[in-house]
Amino acid sequence: MAKKSPKKSSTTAPAALSKQDVKTLNSLRGLADEVVRSAERGRTPSLDIPSRSLSNVRYNKSKRFIEMGSGTNRRELFNLSQAKSYMQTLLVGSGCKQLLEQGKTTSIRGLYYLLKHTIEGSREETFDDQADCDPIIEDVEVSLDALREELHVYASNRGSMVGNILLNDSGDEIDCTRMGSGGYSIPSIVEPEIIKFAKCDAKFVLHVEKDTVWRRFNEDKFWQQYNCILTHGSGQPPRGVRRLLNRLHNELGLPVYCLLDNDPWGYYIYSVIKQGSINLAYESRRMAIPNARYIGLRSKDFTACGLSPSVTIRLNEQDVRRAKQIKTYPWFVNKKPWQQEIDLMLKNGFKLEVEALISKDISYVTEQYVPERLEEQDFLD
Amino acid sequence: MSTVNEQSPLVEEPASGNGKAEGHAAPRRRMTAEMMAAQQRDISVSEFFAKNRHLLGFDNPRKALLTTVKEAVDNSLDACEEAGIVPEIWVHIESTGNNRFKVGIQDNGPGIMKKTIPLIFGKLLYGSKFHRLRMSRGQQGIGISAAGMYGMLTTGKPVKIISRISPRRPSHYYEIQIDTQKNRPEILNGRGEGEDIPAGEKGHAYILEHGIEWVSHYDAAEGEKPAEVQHGTRVTIELEGRYQRGRGSVDDYLEQTAIANPHVTLHYLDPEGNRKTYPRSTQKLPPEPKEIKPHPYGIELGRLVTMLKETKATTLSQFLTGSFSRVSSSVARKICEEAKLSPRASSSRIGRREADSLFEAIQRTRISPPSTDCISSIGEELLLKGISHVVPGEFYVAATRPPAVYRGNPFLIEVALAYGGGNPVQKVTRDTLAEMLGETDARTLRQFIMTSFEGLGSDAAERILKASAMGTRQSPSKLDEAEIAKLHEAMRNVNLESGQTMQVLRYANRVPLQFSQAACAITQAVMNTNWRPYGLSQSRGGLPSGPVTVMVHMASVWVPFTSESKEAIAGYPEILKELRLALQAVGRKLGMYLNRRKRVAQEGERRNIFLRYLREVATAVSDLNGADRDGLYDKLLHVAKRKTAEADMRFDQRGRAIESPNDFGDHVLIVQSESEPEEPAA
Repeated sequence: MAKKSPKKSSTTAPAALSKQDVKTLNSLRGLADEVVRSAERGRTPSLDIPSRSLSNVRYNKSKRFIEMGSGTNRRELFNLSQAKSYMQTLLVGSGCKQLLEQGKTTSIRGLYYLLKHTIEGSREETFDDQADCDPIIEDVEVSLDALREELHVYASNRGSMVGNILLNDSGDEIDCTRMGSGGYSIPSIVEPEIIKFAKCDAKFVLHVEKDTVWRRFNEDKFWQQYNCILTHGSGQPPRGVRRLLNRLHNELGLPVYCLLDNDPWGYYIYSVIKQGSINLAYESRRMAIPNARYIGLRSKDFTACGLSPSVTIRLNEQDVRRAKQIKTYPWFVNKKPWQQEIDLMLKNGFKLEVEALISKDISYVTEQYVPERLEEQDFLD
Repeated sequence: MSTVNEQSPLVEEPASGNGKAEGHAAPRRRMTAEMMAAQQRDISVSEFFAKNRHLLGFDNPRKALLTTVKEAVDNSLDACEEAGIVPEIWVHIESTGNNRFKVGIQDNGPGIMKKTIPLIFGKLLYGSKFHRLRMSRGQQGIGISAAGMYGMLTTGKPVKIISRISPRRPSHYYEIQIDTQKNRPEILNGRGEGEDIPAGEKGHAYILEHGIEWVSHYDAAEGEKPAEVQHGTRVTIELEGRYQRGRGSVDDYLEQTAIANPHVTLHYLDPEGNRKTYPRSTQKLPPEPKEIKPHPYGIELGRLVTMLKETKATTLSQFLTGSFSRVSSSVARKICEEAKLSPRASSSRIGRREADSLFEAIQRTRISPPSTDCISSIGEELLLKGISHVVPGEFYVAATRPPAVYRGNPFLIEVALAYGGGNPVQKVTRDTLAEMLGETDARTLRQFIMTSFEGLGSDAAERILKASAMGTRQSPSKLDEAEIAKLHEAMRNVNLESGQTMQVLRYANRVPLQFSQAACAITQAVMNTNWRPYGLSQSRGGLPSGPVTVMVHMASVWVPFTSESKEAIAGYPEILKELRLALQAVGRKLGMYLNRRKRVAQEGERRNIFLRYLREVATAVSDLNGADRDGLYDKLLHVAKRKTAEADMRFDQRGRAIESPNDFGDHVLIVQSESEPEEPAA
């Protein structure tokens, strides 16, 4: 039976493989060998994928971050509900192998397009949309214990940085003091092979929730005045941003301060930066920053800063539910200030965005709010 | 009994107005009793039915054509079966222009004696079936002569009959008209004596020469000498009619007759010259039904009085035991005791009052139900053969109930069910469709589809029209070629399984009932049966939907029709109960089949899902570690097959291995479809 699509471009010469690549390739091959072994013994080919659910993570009190448990989900080829995802897992594996051998990287969206095709003899697509593909990539990461970058896959850039630091990104010198109004766009992969810290004079890192606030700080040259690095992660920070923060903290010893909205979403972003996320619990050791600190906004700021009621946003049902859930997280449950903080927000019945401070004065946040907190060391842990 | 006496009330009082306002002036008499008496006279049955032809099924030209064919075919079948001849029937319809049709029906029956031919075909209410209790198609002896009369009234052409009793004796040929005033046949040919056609070759020549229609030989396989039709009767009637296909048509009637009469071969030549033959699927005649005496429970007072008058028995006891079934002398004695009459009383002396108490006594006395061997069922095996020959499908089941009794009349219900197969709408060819569109009197396309094809509801019609992008209210006769093609395409391709309603074929004594569906006890029983547990969807109090044809046959010595036109069966509780039980019996089997079909489909789906992904997996693996892709695929396929087989076994809840295909019990026929779940070639 002739196969129509000449899939593998054998014309491309294999790229020189790094040690890491060889290791990754070997584990990918292991994945395939298992299938062949099962087929030969007449058994159902299966994969044990570490479970990425809330039930399989636990909070490591001594390390102070979320760790993945040992629970796995078995994915079988001959199981109606798993057959397709099993097939997809192997497909992602073969796609990554292709990337590795050619020494190229692609976005997760690119990988999705690389692997998407109509299954022979049917009208079904291998992947219906990218949302179908992304969790499979994470599955491959966890089951091979390989990082996304080791598979030559990255996510889109989200998040920027300015400050007193000199980087080397893939051989290019980057002076983060001369980044204009846009800042340095933090790539998805920020491993030492890609980004090296050349020189750093900054004394701390200020991470803000989103772009608009970050611009305020950048325009006011806050980082110059206070000699710091300024980052944002467009809401929930992507892996690249979190990994970079982690490296700045661990390798350069810079404290990380977070300026986030006073709402359950903001609390959760802080929780992810500090303890790691449930979904990426296997990456916590590389991502979590247990010593990060929460500057604000605080529930008490409404009265402390004398804000007008018109800048508040009422908590909806979902917010209340989410807040109560966050309150019970093991890493918050024993911290009295946090319990008080959340209780106060619930009592207020409203949330506050960082932008609300602009109602006081356009630069209130950069000239007064943050400097005062830093001065008073008024943080939440 | 040739006349009906009209009892019109005599008008003695002044008929008009109220006397008050007119004071004392004597009202003018318009008519005197004498004048009226002069106008009062006998009415002949023929005249009566000539005026009231709708009573006999001649209400409109389309139905007239059908009724004519039906009466003739029914008579032919009755005659053949009574004589013990395996019937072969020829139905020829020929258009003679001007909405006139020449209908010729020939059988290979025993033939008719020369003397009685004119009476049978030229006199209403003449026949052998009225006075006896015996299962037969015809009952009154009106049908065929009424058809002849209708033909004569509308076209003026005589009825032509040719009948042959034996190959050695001359055949008789008659051209008859009915004298409607006297209800008497009038023979036109051979100077009022009819013609004799000599036997043998000379006869064949005579037939040809005189242009008499007669099929002289049976069809024979190629190379064989065709056998001569040695005996039989052919009646030819020319009448005004309308030929139209679809529901309630001649074609429909013949098809349904073929289902219920698998021992009959039918040759049909339609007005457009198409020949169609329904070959018999068995040589075995149905067992001969026995004639029975009436059962006392089924008798009415008036009839009892008449019987008492007519009886030759001398004593009451003799009368009771001799005229009724299931009345022994001890039962007769009990009845007499109950009625406080002497068993030895003279039966001719029983007066009105005594008859009344006798009638009451009969109702109070326990009498065993009538014997039921007088009914001949079609039988499950032949029902299956019949329905599977004519209705395409994948699953057939039949059930015959034991005989039961209503109002003292034994009867029996049998049901056959066919599931699957296409709808008639999907079988129709484009040319036929174009013709049907031209012929129909439906005003809208939607109406056309619903009335022309069995088992299509408004839902299905709308889906077809939507698929063909045509309006529901478009006129069917004004479609152009392209539109017809589009409609035809849509009819073939639209999935109608869910939009289809159950098709109910009703039979009484093997005769299909084609009209008054809603009024019929059979339809009521089908609608009142809950089909949902059997895997069909059904809206409350409606016919279930799905590609199902159910055929229901009621056999009885006396079928209780709701009207003289014999279109619907009356709903006696006993009949409804038997109908329900029979329908449930086939329903259960259908449910089992549908359940299993669903399971097989699921199983196939499971396997398909795995198979679909196996090649992808094999490709990915071979990309990753360079394994032999096709070899791996084969191995995985092997595992897949084993795994799904195991999974299927587990599917049965009772822990049994998958049942063998024959556990439906008897009288089930499953047609394997050719399309097995596809397997990608390795």
